[in-house]
Order: sequence, then structure tokens, then C-alpha cells
Amino acid sequence: MYLLWLRVATALYGLASVAALPAVLGERPRWQRVCLPLAIAGWLYHIVAFVEMLAAAHRLMPVGMHQVQATLSLLIVTAFLLIWLRYRTISFGVFALPLAFLVILIPAIGPDKYTFSSSLVRSGWIAIHVTLLLAAYAALIFSLLASLFYLAQERRLKNRQSPGFLGWLPPLDTMNQIARTTLVFGFYCMTGGLLIGSLIAQEHMGAAYFVDPKVVLSFVMWVLYLVILFVHRSAGLRGKRAVYLSSAVILLMLCVWAANLFSSVHRFSTP
Amino acid sequence: MKLLLTGVNHKTAPVELREQLAIAPERLGEATHALLDFPGVHEAMILSTCNRVELLACHESNSPDLLSFLEGYLGVGTASLRPHIYEYRETDAVQHLFRVASSLDSMVVGEPQILGQVKESYTTARSVGAVQTHLEKLLQSTFAVAKKIRTETQIGSSSVSIASVAVDLAKKIFGSLEGKRVLLVGAGKMSELAARHLLQQGADAIYVANRTHDHAVRLAQNFQGRAVRFEDLYATADQADIIITSTGSQEHIFRREHGQQFLHKRRNRPMFFIDIAVPRDIDPEINRVDGVFLYDIDDLQSVAASHLADRAREAQRAEAIIAEEVQRFQRHAQALNATPMIIDLQSSAEEMRQAELRRMQARLQSLTPEQQAAVEALTRGLMNKFLHLPMQAIKAAALEADTVMLEVMRSVFHLTRTQEPANSRITSKTVPAETDEPVIAGNQKDRS
Repeated sequence: MYLLWLRVATALYGLASVAALPAVLGERPRWQRVCLPLAIAGWLYHIVAFVEMLAAAHRLMPVGMHQVQATLSLLIVTAFLLIWLRYRTISFGVFALPLAFLVILIPAIGPDKYTFSSSLVRSGWIAIHVTLLLAAYAALIFSLLASLFYLAQERRLKNRQSPGFLGWLPPLDTMNQIARTTLVFGFYCMTGGLLIGSLIAQEHMGAAYFVDPKVVLSFVMWVLYLVILFVHRSAGLRGKRAVYLSSAVILLMLCVWAANLFSSVHRFSTP
Repeated sequence: MKLLLTGVNHKTAPVELREQLAIAPERLGEATHALLDFPGVHEAMILSTCNRVELLACHESNSPDLLSFLEGYLGVGTASLRPHIYEYRETDAVQHLFRVASSLDSMVVGEPQILGQVKESYTTARSVGAVQTHLEKLLQSTFAVAKKIRTETQIGSSSVSIASVAVDLAKKIFGSLEGKRVLLVGAGKMSELAARHLLQQGADAIYVANRTHDHAVRLAQNFQGRAVRFEDLYATADQADIIITSTGSQEHIFRREHGQQFLHKRRNRPMFFIDIAVPRDIDPEINRVDGVFLYDIDDLQSVAASHLADRAREAQRAEAIIAEEVQRFQRHAQALNATPMIIDLQSSAEEMRQAELRRMQARLQSLTPEQQAAVEALTRGLMNKFLHLPMQAIKAAALEADTVMLEVMRSVFHLTRTQEPANSRITSKTVPAETDEPVIAGNQKDRS
């Protein structure tokens, strides 16, 4: 049954993505009134699907790649809604909603072929590890988006472009706050996630686990993240420099994600 | 009931004439009451603003001479008024009122004050009993249309004055202006106006620097701000988020290196420079510094002009909405116009019933009074039952503006075309929407 709710959520995210274009780019209030309820309805169905999925599996965490993707999509939409609640801007919907739609699309098409069969995934700590890291990814995506929006708005204001062009972009200060808050939030999540993961790995597999490419890349990403935060704080990093650094972390994040394919110990198959 | 709107506005009359016609808010109630008492006027409202004076009246077949009212009440001769006056009737009057309330007829298209002024006029007219059924419906529709245009178009969303454009740009940089500091360099009128706008929007503190320190002190006192000695300008400027310059200096006061220094001290927090001076006080190169935004007077003017063009584009969309809404209002008015036809139908049926009763009078004389009352009730009940469906059909046809159906009904029931009742606000109350009770056409009365 959860697949049905997931498909409903996917359809609603798709519609919300379409509505976001005129709502944000065209600044049409009527579309704004459509986009947000669609996204909220999709999110609610997504929550229902998520809870049913976990209840059906009798587990607290996603047990396959599709379920992980569905969780990431849920976190992206959650972040979008939290930003709307705090800053009253739906500008991020132009990118966040289509991204959430694309990420959830494959899980919604059919059941997962690859599932984590290891008994290790039944641990509650693993659930927290995965959720924290996914939340960190979602936060990083929003941080990069906010930095890109900042850059576009800065260019627009400097070039004194026509008011209609990119007029939908939120104020510079708002985007700076979002970029900074999501960056800090993501760092806490990533630190917590990696710490829990390391403790579990140390307990179950010993030191050998830490030469795995995915694990090594994860720690490199964490160090780079720490550097970005330090520079951001000390120099009040904004504009294109902030975009470059966020992009570097995102790129590394994608490498970490892709490194799963080369990882022998991080695939949670039955030993 | 017919509608007549007469008046002058900024397009048709010079300010000298508008001054003579203007009615002060405290006299508006009295003037509206006088208009209501004018022969032929049944409902009335007066809209008097600095850009227009308009009289709106509901009347019967004979149109009241509102020019005479203006002459009599305000003492302005009709000869001097006639070349400047405009007059709209029925649909045109509805359309004009919708346009006025939606700010399409304003001097600055999209300005928000006019709707409030129309609402004030309505409240005043209502308080003196000059707004009844017809104007009530018209004005409620007017407010709904104006609101629709505000929400569905962006006619009023962008600023068109230099000062408000500066505020909008500051908001695009800083979001909220709460807690932001403004530095005025020089003491020009335009910069003062911009600073006032920024303060109104929540800016926290004003610093004033001027070569003549006394001027700075005086201006700072006006804003409850702080005067800064001109020698301390560069040491203080980095504390300001927004700097407005309007000095008579022949050289640039702020150059690129100043911008870099300020940004360094501010740890890259953005700064907004507004240069209103001619010749310019700020080197345009400063705009190349990351985090510094510079707009001079030409930039502000071009943004304002572009906003005006946007408003003109949105006004076209608003006109389309108004055209639709006028049609909708007309359809609704047509539904109200079905009332006389229903009354005719009921009268005709009642006449037939009475005639039949008279014809049978000889045979019915032998009946007891109770039996006669039963016959009376029976015939009346039958008539009401028979009339119920045709009455429903007439109402439905009128609501859908189905004139063919109305003609068919008129022809089937041999109804002659009747004039609208003398006072349909009374008749409309006497014909409940779903009633089976017949209404005798004689209960209409004139307002004396």
C-alpha cells in the first residue's frame, strides 16, 4: 500500500514543481496559492508512505536504495517547507520541488531490486546514522541553492537589470541567512552521522572499515566542510566564493554517494 | 432603477475648478444627504478626492439634472462646469466606478489610496441612508473587483517614485530594514525624503554628515539622529548600511578603495550607496567591489520608469478583468429585473382567479361562509402551485440572461412589457426567492 501513497506524493510533487514555475518566476499569486498546498499535500502523503514502509518492514530505517532515495526526497521537501515557514519564501521551490520529484520518481515506479540484507541494518543506531547523513546532504543542497540565488541576485542588483528579470529572487540577506543556517545544520548532522557510523563500524568490523573508499571520502568531505565553515565565519564569506566552496562540498558529496558502488563493506549485504 | 455618474477628474478639469468642487470630509455626509433629497434621486454617493469629484445617483426614468445640483449646492456655474464634466450611464457608469476603485483612472495608476477613499464615501453615504439595495450591490461588487485586481495583477506591487524605489532596492539587499543604519552625506531635499522613507520602513538610526556642521546638527535633530563631523566621515561610514549622498562636491567623496576598506571592516556585510548628487559624489567604480551596491539618480529613475511600464502592462490585464466583471454585474442586475415580470404573472393569474370566482358567484352563494373560505383557499393554493414552476423558470432565465426564454415566457403567459417597479428595493423585498405566496402588484410605493 505504501507504494500507492508514494505515487500519489510523487504526482503531487510533480504538479507542485509545475506550479512553482509561474508562482516563482512569474510571481503569480494565484499559482503561489496552488503550489504550496500541493507541496504540503505531497509531503503528507509522503509521510504516510514512509511510516507504512517502515511499519511493513518492521524496521526504523530504509532498507534499500529506493527507500534511501525516498527518504532523501522527503528531507528535501521538509527543508523547503521549513524555509517557507521561517523566511516566507517559496523561491527555492523552483529547484527543490523538481529535485524532490526526480529523486522520488525511481522509488515510486516499482519495488526495490537491491535491498540491504545485512542484519546490521536492523540496528536503531544505523537508522540515526543514515537519517543524519541524508539530512546533511539535503542541507548542503539548500546551502548551495541559497548561495547560487545570492550570486544571481547580487549580479542583478549590481547590473541594475530590469526589475522583472529575476525579480522573484529573495533578498540577499535572507539568502545569506539560509545558506549559513543550512550549512551549520548540515555540519552538525554530518558530524553526528559520521560519529555514530564510526562507532558502529569500530564495534562490528574493526579498523579495516576505515580504509574503505566511501568511508575515506566521507571523512575528507567532513574536513572540507569544517574548513568552509571556518572560512565562512571568519571572513563573512558571501557571493561567488561561497558558491565555489559549497559546490566543492556538493561535488565531493556526489563522489561519496557514488563511492558506494566501489565499497565492499558499506553495502549492507549479507556477509 | 437607473444609474447615473457625473463628475470631473484630473484629466478633464484644471485644479482651480476641482478646488471649487471639492467637498471636505466633514461636509460629505451633509452633501450626500442634499443629493439624496434632490428631485429624482433615489440613492446617492459622492466621491470627493484631490483628483476627482463624482456624483453617483440611482434614479427612475427621468434623469436628475446633477449639474443643477452642483450649481445649487456648491455655487459653481453650469456654464463653467459643462466643458469639463463627464457623464456615464448604466453599464458605462458601472465600468467607470470599477475602474476608479481599482485605480485604473488615477493619476498614478495602481496607487492604493483611492479604494480607501471610495470606501469612506460609501460609509458616509450609508450613514445618511443614501445607500440602499441598488448602490449597496453595486458598491459591494466594486470593492470585490478592486480587491480581485489587487490580488490577481501586480498593478500596485512596484514603486514609481525615486524615494520608494530606493527603499525597495534596500529591501532587496537587506530584507527587512529593521535595525539598519542610514548615513546622509549632504542635506538635499531628495536625500531627506529617501531617508524619511527608510525610517518609515524600520531603519534604525540616521547619521548626518555635512561640510557645514550646523546644518548636519539641524537635520539630525529632525530625524532624531546623530550629526557626524565631515572630518570623521570615513571613520564612521562603515557603520552605516545605507549611505545617501547629495552634496555639491565637484569631486568624488567615496572611491573604490573606500568601498574596499568599509567592506573589510564590516566583514563583507553589504552596503548600499545611493548617489543623488549631480555631479556624482561616488565613483562608479565602487560598484565593482563585492558587496557594494551603487545606484545614482539615473539608475533610480530608470527603475521607476520601468516600474511604470510594468504597471501599464498590468493595467491592460486589469481592464480585461473589469470587462468581465461588468458583464457579470449586468447579468446579476438582469436577474433583479425579472421581478416585474413575476409580479405581472402573479397579477394576471390573480385577475383570472377573481374573474372565475365572480362568474361562479351565483352558484357559490348557497355555501356556508366556511365552505366559501375553503373554495377561496383552494383556488389560491391551486394558482400558487401552477405559478411556482413558471416563476422558477423566469428567475433561472433572468439569472442566465436568457432573453429568448424570457420572451417565450412573456408570450406564453400574455404578459405585456412592464416598466420596472417604482421602487424595486421595496418590491424585491416583497418577492421572496422561493415563496409560493402571490404578491399583489399594488404594493409598490414611491419614495417621497
